Amino acid sequence: MVFAIQRPGMAKWLEKLLEGGEVIAPVRGPCGDVVFSTIRSPAQVIWDFGNPLHPPKRFVLPQTDPLVTIKRNGHRHEVEPIYDDARRILFNVRSCDVKGIAFLTRMHEMEPADASYLRRANRLTVISLACTTPCPPGFCVCTDSGPFLSDGYDIQLTDVGKSYLVEVGSEKGEAAISVVPSLFRKATESELLKRKKLETAARSHFGQETCHFASAMRRISTGRVQDSLWDKMSDWCLECGGCNLICPTCYCFSVKDLRRDGTWIRCRMWDSCQYAAFTLEASGHNPREHRKERMKRRFFHKVSAQYYTRDSTVGCVGCGRCIKVCLGTTDMPAVVAAIRKGKWHE
Amino acid sequence: MSTVPTTCPFCACGCGFYLLANKGELVGVAPSETHPVSLGRLCARGWGAHEAALWGDRLRQPLINRHGNLETASWVEALDDVTRRFRDLIAAGKSVGVLGSPRASNEENYLAGKLARAGFQTNNVDFCFHSICRPLFAGLEDVCGDYAPSISLNDIEASETILLIEGDLAQTHPRAAFSVMKAVEAGAHLVTIGYSRTQMARLSSLHLQTTPGNEGEVIDGLLAAVLRPGGGDRTSLAIPCEGYDALLRNVEAVKITEEMRQAADWIAHATRATFLMAPTSGYGDQTRNAAAALATLAAVTGHLDRPDSGLLPLLARSNVRGACDMGVAPDRLPGHQPLCDQRAQQRLQDLWGKKLPSTRGLEAESLLQSVSGLIVLADDPSAVLPMGGRALAALGKIEFLVVLDAFVTPPSRIAHAVLPIACFAETEGTLTNMEGRVQSLQVATQPPGEARPGWQVLAELCARFDAGVSYNSTTDVLREIAQAAPRYARMEQRASDDEWGGRWVKDPDRGKFKLYATGAAALTSAERPHVLVRDGAFDWGRDPLVSFSPTLSRDSQSQQKLFPNGFVEICKQDADGLGVPVGRQVKLTSVHGNAVVPIRLRADLKPGVLLVPYAFRDHVANVLGTDSVTAVKVEQA
Amino acid sequence: MNDVFLPDIATLVKAWDETPDTKTFAWRFRDLKGGKDFHFLPGQFLELSVFGYGEAPFCIASSPTRPDALETTVRRTGQLTDALHRLGNGDEVGIRGPFGNGFDAEAARGKDLLFVGGGIGLAPLRSLIWNALDERDRFGKVTILYGARTPSDLVYRHELKEWEERSDVELLITVDWAAPGWTGNVGVVPVLFEKVTLHPESTLAYVCGPPIMIRFVVRDLLARGFKEEAVISTLERMMQCGIGKCNHCAIGHRYVCRDGPVFNYSQIRELVE
Repeated sequence: MVFAIQRPGMAKWLEKLLEGGEVIAPVRGPCGDVVFSTIRSPAQVIWDFGNPLHPPKRFVLPQTDPLVTIKRNGHRHEVEPIYDDARRILFNVRSCDVKGIAFLTRMHEMEPADASYLRRANRLTVISLACTTPCPPGFCVCTDSGPFLSDGYDIQLTDVGKSYLVEVGSEKGEAAISVVPSLFRKATESELLKRKKLETAARSHFGQETCHFASAMRRISTGRVQDSLWDKMSDWCLECGGCNLICPTCYCFSVKDLRRDGTWIRCRMWDSCQYAAFTLEASGHNPREHRKERMKRRFFHKVSAQYYTRDSTVGCVGCGRCIKVCLGTTDMPAVVAAIRKGKWHE
Repeated sequence: MSTVPTTCPFCACGCGFYLLANKGELVGVAPSETHPVSLGRLCARGWGAHEAALWGDRLRQPLINRHGNLETASWVEALDDVTRRFRDLIAAGKSVGVLGSPRASNEENYLAGKLARAGFQTNNVDFCFHSICRPLFAGLEDVCGDYAPSISLNDIEASETILLIEGDLAQTHPRAAFSVMKAVEAGAHLVTIGYSRTQMARLSSLHLQTTPGNEGEVIDGLLAAVLRPGGGDRTSLAIPCEGYDALLRNVEAVKITEEMRQAADWIAHATRATFLMAPTSGYGDQTRNAAAALATLAAVTGHLDRPDSGLLPLLARSNVRGACDMGVAPDRLPGHQPLCDQRAQQRLQDLWGKKLPSTRGLEAESLLQSVSGLIVLADDPSAVLPMGGRALAALGKIEFLVVLDAFVTPPSRIAHAVLPIACFAETEGTLTNMEGRVQSLQVATQPPGEARPGWQVLAELCARFDAGVSYNSTTDVLREIAQAAPRYARMEQRASDDEWGGRWVKDPDRGKFKLYATGAAALTSAERPHVLVRDGAFDWGRDPLVSFSPTLSRDSQSQQKLFPNGFVEICKQDADGLGVPVGRQVKLTSVHGNAVVPIRLRADLKPGVLLVPYAFRDHVANVLGTDSVTAVKVEQA
Repeated sequence: MNDVFLPDIATLVKAWDETPDTKTFAWRFRDLKGGKDFHFLPGQFLELSVFGYGEAPFCIASSPTRPDALETTVRRTGQLTDALHRLGNGDEVGIRGPFGNGFDAEAARGKDLLFVGGGIGLAPLRSLIWNALDERDRFGKVTILYGARTPSDLVYRHELKEWEERSDVELLITVDWAAPGWTGNVGVVPVLFEKVTLHPESTLAYVCGPPIMIRFVVRDLLARGFKEEAVISTLERMMQCGIGKCNHCAIGHRYVCRDGPVFNYSQIRELVE
């Protein structure tokens, strides 16, 4: 069933949600950036905002993620798992990020499953805000991850004027509205119609622009991208790793022991397949020594038919963050276009 | 989880980002779209900035040498010890000194300078990286009288022509490289001058390959192409220039190639042009001359007095400009004012209420080899100075060595007193980037153990040497800096032009430019036909911010492990000519001495050129002597 | 749900030198229950934690037919392996695993087995060799060709001797550079092919060693009529998580830690870097 909540009721609902645990939402930070932050009061929540550049994936996969404590007592060691059992609500997440988290969860559910990740993900409720005005660099229509969603969320909100439409997509979503059921009523026909119109309008924002994943995928999957093209493109990458680190679907990591007061904390840390040392072995052998090989790897993982078959989607949610963050010019749309055309900067 | 805006501690581009902290520990970095330099972007180092503070081997407690061992002590004990020993040394007429650091804030550097000048009554104050960038600064000052008129990184993107005297910009200053890339993408002409075909050279419209140390020759060629009759009216001088006629005479006989003519055309006809130079190549005098010639080229083509054009010296570490501005130099006072400037001396004496020494002090390399007492602030001279490992040996001979650092470094292991201070994520302060933008550091987490913010420790030491005022915050220190350094005047009150609070250092007034060409000399001879060059000006691999980061340290650690004897890079043609297979060794002989090192092939070098990475300079120390480029004979070992 | 990142504690039972820079370690799980539940296949690998230094992958060098000993053979190459080499009897490490697909011993039943090892690459083969020898009647001819750079780089000397003496095993050894007193074969491993009779149609070839050796051995085997599917090797990558998540060991859409480390040559050829 689709519900609705009156605009003034939103603060009340948020207050109730805040009583139940941590609520994280995009807020305007001290320097003007919109950032995901734990909120203390409903007043902090903003409703008109560009998607934060730093994605919310860190709430399921932190940049530094403690996994195991290793305690030492003389010669004897004891190991204990570190659990993050906090219940969190991600509020006002954009559609692309909902899809991103869903993607990560699918990856970590694959056998052998990653319990540490899933523990966090299972305790996370995702309340999204449909994008009635798509953001400039986004291309979510190409990746089927927005501007409105048909699944993947626990709750999807749509601003339909005097009220918000509330689509519940899971039990976690149901639990989230059951904290104050009185605030929610059945959505009216006109509200539903409004949503439909908004979605059509939002989609039309993207114009006739089609995406070229399909043709790029054919070339990548069959190794029909010329080596010289990778060569050229890789000269326009400064190897910052930003594309990986802010990508909602990237999850590469490294593991290292952190020493703290006589114990070690084994942590996983975000890593980037674009860094030369990512595949560097102790012997000094590096199977992907050249940047073009690493770039090829990144796009194979994201856009190949082989991975598409495994993951049922490309490894991209069209959020456009890599366009903003790229310390070069090799963001996803630019490279996909170049692969399709077989040309770079010509 | 807290989100704290702060300034990147790595290179001098001065990016900004948010440090993310959870339960008092750093957990990550988030980019900012509103930061005026970063604009949402960071390089790999920036993305890993939280790691060293979290994973590093941190100094947590003051240590003093008792019976030959470094043992923990209270702050009072440690400070008493330092005070007593320095008083004794000074009383005994022995020389002492202070090394500031481009890894430390303006406030820390200012106080380090004040401690030396007002406290110890000496101008023996410098910072190690200064010895690398000093010739570059000197060359620019020859022409401009001060720092060259700078251009902001963002303005580079609108340049029509960019002249880059290469280090390896993509590696050393990724943020600046990004601006250059954007300009090239938009159709700008990029001209690179350098001895290897680096990433930026591959993107250039024209790469003028030189032999190391001969960059000046190419710049002379460009000058000649601009100035000599028949080249059309290419000069545009709005500001009066001294030395124009001499310059014309100097370039009369210079050889101009077709490529130089093309590059000169692009430079002269551009409405907006950027000149970038890294303090890497050539030896001291040559770098100075090349820098002067570059500034001259910029001046005569009118690009030093246009708002969107300018010259940017590429400084490796975050606060090189700040350390210079704070007068951390044996011949400069705060505000980069010459030591001999009577008015500046007087103003400082009035401000500090002490008579100040007027004899010029020693530069870092000589300083640490000759003083009896030394305070080293947040730096490892053996990792930074060209003299490399020999610096550590020199430090070991110092009677009383004090190290203030956040991290365990080689000098902290041999010091007589170690004062643990906060790292960049744990203290307030300001950094001045290479554009002249003064930006804030903010506290994201507390320093570990008993470590204190460095400015507090230095303020305490100043007080103990009767050079103290009580400062309640870094703002108090900045207020005093504003009085001491005219170009920082009212800095603490100045309005920011961005949401991050960055404020500009005032550009010095410029009367006129003085023009120079270089006149380069040949380096090689029949006996020593090859050139060995120390490649790069800095080794991030040994900076604690990199070496303690699990992610950032991987490449350099792997290289150190795989090449315990270092290597020199050579082109295939030379290696084949010598009959030396890869991995085997060659013997290098220069006027200074010889060394035997393994070789590695490098595709983008010209025959006759050998490179030794900065990190491996110790392995050819005998060959290089005090040079950064030297003629060598190469033989099978 | 299992905590895939939580290691089991194991103690070092004993360690012995194989070569100047290589040691074999015998581990026993401290927690008996964990030890009893530990089933593995030849060719699988472990993630071994040296506490304070982190974790690295090592192949299991012992055979599942000898469950009392869990052995790994490790060459000293970095901080972690240095620390490992410093451990004494009774010292503890963490073990996760076993990971990977392992050799398909069932598919090898009734076949002739050809083992081609180079240097420390004999370690994963040793697991399968002992497995085969302990169940000797299930397999046909067993041939072992082993090469190392110098005589002092040969590992498992006692076992080499034992195999040499067995009549149901054919063992040939070669070194790249002979040392004084060496009377055996000299040359790279492929020289040994001249000295044995191979039946490509009924033989499975298991090849482990340095990449360059693998390349030449595989080329020769294919030239001698081996089918690509009958040439089996293990790949080495920097496997960190062991569960196909961290992506360090990904080649194309395959993960060495999960889809490998054992691949036949036709699979290897299809991997897109």
